Amino acid sequence: MARDWQPDFERLLEEHQSMVFSLAKRMTGDRGLAEEIAQDVFLELDRHLSRIESPEHALFWLRRVTMSRSADALRRRKVRGVDLWVEIEEQHGAPAEDRMSPLGARVEALLATLPEPQRAALVLRYQEDLTPEEIAKTLESPLATVKSNLQRGLKLLRAKAESHLKEFVRNGRTVENA
Amino acid sequence: MDEPWKTPEPMDEFERELRQSMLRRPAPPSLTRRVLDARSRRRTERLHLRMVWLQRLAASVVLAGALGGGLAWRHFDEQKKGEAAREQVMTALRITTRTLNDLNARLAERNKADGE
Repeated sequence: MARDWQPDFERLLEEHQSMVFSLAKRMTGDRGLAEEIAQDVFLELDRHLSRIESPEHALFWLRRVTMSRSADALRRRKVRGVDLWVEIEEQHGAPAEDRMSPLGARVEALLATLPEPQRAALVLRYQEDLTPEEIAKTLESPLATVKSNLQRGLKLLRAKAESHLKEFVRNGRTVENA
Repeated sequence: MDEPWKTPEPMDEFERELRQSMLRRPAPPSLTRRVLDARSRRRTERLHLRMVWLQRLAASVVLAGALGGGLAWRHFDEQKKGEAAREQVMTALRITTRTLNDLNARLAERNKADGE
C-alpha cells in the first residue's frame, strides 16, 4: 500500500530533538549522557526510517526508544547520587535557555531520586501529557503497573518535596511567590 | 483509588509546578550538527565498507577465475599428454605386431621348407 507521508529525517530531528533530549535528561539526570542518548536515538531512527509510517508513529517510536535507551544507560552506569544543591549550582553553568526556576530545578532534581519505573511514568505523564494507557504502550508495561507507578511516584515525590522544599509546599505557595 | 492523572479537581500547586518544571527543554544547539555529522560519517563508513566488500568480491571472482583456468589448463595439458602417451603405446604395439607378424611369416616359410 502506498503511503502519502514520507519521513524526512532532518525535519523529524528538528521537530523532536527537544522532546528526546528532555526525556533522556530527566531519566538519567545527566546532560552529557542525555545528549549521547539523543544522538543514538536519532541515528537509530535513521536506520529505521523506512519503517516509520506516520508522524504519530515517529513520535511514538522516538518516545519508546528514548525511554528504552535511557533505561539501558542507567543500568550500564551507576547513576551518581543527586545532590540538590550541586544540581542548582550546575544550573548557573548551564546554557541560558536551559535554566529554569530554582524550584523547577529542585523538583527536577527530586524526580531524579525516584526509582526508575516511577520516574519514567511521571516523566511521560507530566512532560508528554500521556494517558496511562499510552504510557503502558510506550514502556511496554502492564497498565496496572503504570497506574501504580504513577500513584506511588507522585506520592513519593510529594513526600520528598515536603521534606526538601518546605517553603514551597506550605500553603501551596511557591518559592518565587514567597 | 487515587488517580492523579484524571485530575478531577484542579491541580494543586505542587502538580502545577511539577508540570511546569517538566516542560520540554530545548536541546543543545550543537545536537543537530552532531547528529547530522554522525549520520554522514556513518553513511561514509557504510559506503566504504560496501566498497571493501565489492573489492573483496571482485578479488574472489578473479581468484576463482584464475584457479579455474589453471585447473582447466592442467586438465587439458594432462589430457594432451595422455593422448600422446597413448599414441606412443599404440605405435609401439603396431611395431611389435608388425614384427611378430614378420617373424611368424618367416617361421611359417621355414616350416614349409623343412617339410618339403
